[in-house]
Amino acid sequence: MTGFFGTSTADLVATWVAAVVTLVVLGALLGERRLFGWTQHLLAGLATGFLALIVLTELIGPRLVQPILADPSSRPELWVGLALVATAAASPWLPRQVSVIPVSIAIGALAAFALGGAVIGTLLPQIDAAIVRPGGSAATTLGGALAVAVTGLVLIGFLHGVPRGRVLSTAAGAGRWLLIGGIGGWLGFLIFSRLILLVDRIAFLLGDWLGLVP
Amino acid sequence: MNDRMPHLWRLAPLVLIAALAVAWQLPEASWLRLAAPDAAVADRMTATLDSIGEEPRVLVGFDPDIGTYAETRPTVRTLLADLLAREARLAFVSLTAEGRALGSAELARFGREEANPTRLLDLGFIPGAEAGLVDLTRGVRLPDEGDGAFAREVNAAGIGAFDAVLVIGGNDLGPRSWIEQVAPRIGEIPFVAVTPTVLLPEVQPYLASGALRAVLGTPRDGAAYRETLDLGNLGRLTDPSEPRPLPLLIGMLVAVAALGQALGARAIGYLRASRSREAG
Repeated sequence: MTGFFGTSTADLVATWVAAVVTLVVLGALLGERRLFGWTQHLLAGLATGFLALIVLTELIGPRLVQPILADPSSRPELWVGLALVATAAASPWLPRQVSVIPVSIAIGALAAFALGGAVIGTLLPQIDAAIVRPGGSAATTLGGALAVAVTGLVLIGFLHGVPRGRVLSTAAGAGRWLLIGGIGGWLGFLIFSRLILLVDRIAFLLGDWLGLVP
Repeated sequence: MNDRMPHLWRLAPLVLIAALAVAWQLPEASWLRLAAPDAAVADRMTATLDSIGEEPRVLVGFDPDIGTYAETRPTVRTLLADLLAREARLAFVSLTAEGRALGSAELARFGREEANPTRLLDLGFIPGAEAGLVDLTRGVRLPDEGDGAFAREVNAAGIGAFDAVLVIGGNDLGPRSWIEQVAPRIGEIPFVAVTPTVLLPEVQPYLASGALRAVLGTPRDGAAYRETLDLGNLGRLTDPSEPRPLPLLIGMLVAVAALGQALGARAIGYLRASRSREAG
């Protein structure tokens, strides 16, 4: 039971639609690809439609159009925003030099935030956390040293086409085996988590749809 | 006989699904437990929640992925119910469309289960990805209907009104984005997270460095956390049914058999090739 559906008529219809689509997706396992392809298109269409809806109702409407209509002269930056929205919407019909402006601003701003955040929020704190402190326990120190050793060996394992001696070749071989071991362990984790998703769908069909489980 | 084999193999997925369905209907086996035997991860989450004081105001960054939400859903619902049992007030915000859709569904579910509406605040969708997160640290925009005491506190103090941040991850903007964009810009408040297993390598370093105080990142840790709680009446807000371990065990055995069969076939082929070389 997913708990997403109540007892109203709309919930009942939603349950049936979800059950039919789930069966169609599971039908792909038996080779029924055409209906499965349609459900993929349906999902992509619904996701795009929903994104457009929330952008219109929660961003462009209340935070752009409404303030401009309420007092057109007090927020000049919103006019710039509106012009960028209009430029992005009309990009298929505009010269490339104009249509790239809103996209460039969006990508540049996102890259700047992401890069700055990665350095301040991830890189520096992780370097700081990796430094072994004098007061740390022996187990912590040993764990850190082991992590450094494994990381180093795996990195050496990626050295392809570089002239190397016996020691480096042995280290590269050990690194590749450690990498394979890590990927194997990770695959086990993922199989387990994906099985939970499959079993959840079966539980939905048996519980929410067929009502076989209270 | 051999001509029929490909057709029979095509039915294998159907047989697997039928087997999982039957196993799901069977009674619980006492010798099988989903919960991790070592409850250290669950205890760490509980200890963190204990440390954030009474009636905490918690900002919930709700951005799970539709594809993997089923994995974290029981833990997410239990954690939210646990917070409400601690008299917490929860403000939900999403930065992705999928997160917003699932957040709306969960808030609607809270409404159906008659959770106290004065303890819930829907801050809606914030566009702009990382830029939106930074914008959130500068001021929290309230919805039109947000006029309760909790909304007024958030309106007055912005993100400083919150005692903790809970990130429900799974999508692009998960715990990493919150740690990178929000944590450096606000004071020392605890960040906790629930993520699907696929994000575990991404969040584990933040846990080790202390940027994240607690993470429930695997189904077994989530089950261990759920086992430790007694939510009383608020148990109605949790998932109606727990994941059952028997179908998961059967599925794992089938997966191991399938992988083993592929390895076995390669090994047999290798042995035959080496024998034929010796004979030649």
